[in-house]
Amino acid sequence: MEAVRFRVHRFRPEDGHRGSFREYQVPKKKGMTVLDGLIYIKENLDPTLSVRYSCRMAICGSCGMRVNGMEVLACNTQIVELEKKVITVEPMKNYPLIKDIVVDMSEFFVKQKNLKTWLIRKDVVEQENPTRQYAQTEEELEKILQFTYCIQCGLCYSACPVVSNLPQFLGPQALMKLYRYLADNRDEGEDRLAAVDKFEGVWRCHFAGSCSTVCPKGVDPALAIQLLRRAALK
Amino acid sequence: MSQRVRWSTALQNLKTMLIPGKYGLERWSYTLQRVSGVVVSLYFIAHVLETGSFVGGVTVWAIPDYDFAERAYREAVSFLKNPIFDAGLAVIGLLVVFHTINGVRLVLAHFGLVLGSPRRREILETPASFSNRQRALFWLSISLAIFAMLYTLDALMGVFRP
Repeated sequence: MEAVRFRVHRFRPEDGHRGSFREYQVPKKKGMTVLDGLIYIKENLDPTLSVRYSCRMAICGSCGMRVNGMEVLACNTQIVELEKKVITVEPMKNYPLIKDIVVDMSEFFVKQKNLKTWLIRKDVVEQENPTRQYAQTEEELEKILQFTYCIQCGLCYSACPVVSNLPQFLGPQALMKLYRYLADNRDEGEDRLAAVDKFEGVWRCHFAGSCSTVCPKGVDPALAIQLLRRAALK
Repeated sequence: MSQRVRWSTALQNLKTMLIPGKYGLERWSYTLQRVSGVVVSLYFIAHVLETGSFVGGVTVWAIPDYDFAERAYREAVSFLKNPIFDAGLAVIGLLVVFHTINGVRLVLAHFGLVLGSPRRREILETPASFSNRQRALFWLSISLAIFAMLYTLDALMGVFRP
């Protein structure tokens, strides 16, 4: 059986440096994903390898990592499609490293939470106990639909060169998520726009577009941020 | 954070800024815009210092003796009149024109003017932010920048003259 060489980033926090790469030979099978390869390594070659994963079907967003220099979901990346004899697996950038290829995404979620990225209605009683349906037209749905597909995998945050150079930047995912709710005709939480109308908010985006390039669900955060910027000017 | 890790992170951040990788055209635009901005700014400082020295360095703030100023000016001109500086100016011409036109493209994109609209989208479909209009403006900035460089080369060194 043909084998593929995995170069996997290894890191132990107690070692106090950024880590190193270790190589493994993994037998290649038809339909095998990068995540399958990592699980093979963990089960057969090196049980000390740490990998975060859950659904294995590109829904949960747990297995985000950099494979051959690009942010991908490992479960959604076929080894055959990479067309390489060596597969380099690294942790996502712009996150503190916990171990091997597992990163700490706390700040990523905190930034999103601080922007109150959920549906806000002035009538809280009605929101909790709705007395009628809040239907949307097709046009109203089109404005927000693609942004609702975000699975919070954090790949866009890793690919963003602005986050890399300014960690305080809110990042593509949080800004996109805020736009999703501000553009929703059912939402009434307008005061949230002030939270992103600042240097670390919408004004710091340089439109490098890497967030939209790497999104595994076809979301376009770069577009959402520019539209949010336009909304902030009004 | 140890000193070694701090340096390593700084190096990593610089690499992120300077190496567009496989992220696509908009990332190349980001990198080129930053590099051209920094180089043109450094050139501007050097240019002000150089022209200031025509009239005797710090004595620029006083009115120098005419003969002294003329001599200093001629020395500076003869020092700068060589193929290396001429080629450097051609590169500056390229960077200035690219930075200007691409800057206009970025301003338009930042206000959503040359981007598509949010719509229902399939995963492999091109994002609306990567619209043909804004990409055409990027290629226009590259084309005009190359034209400016060739024009400068011809004007200063006569490379296209028989």
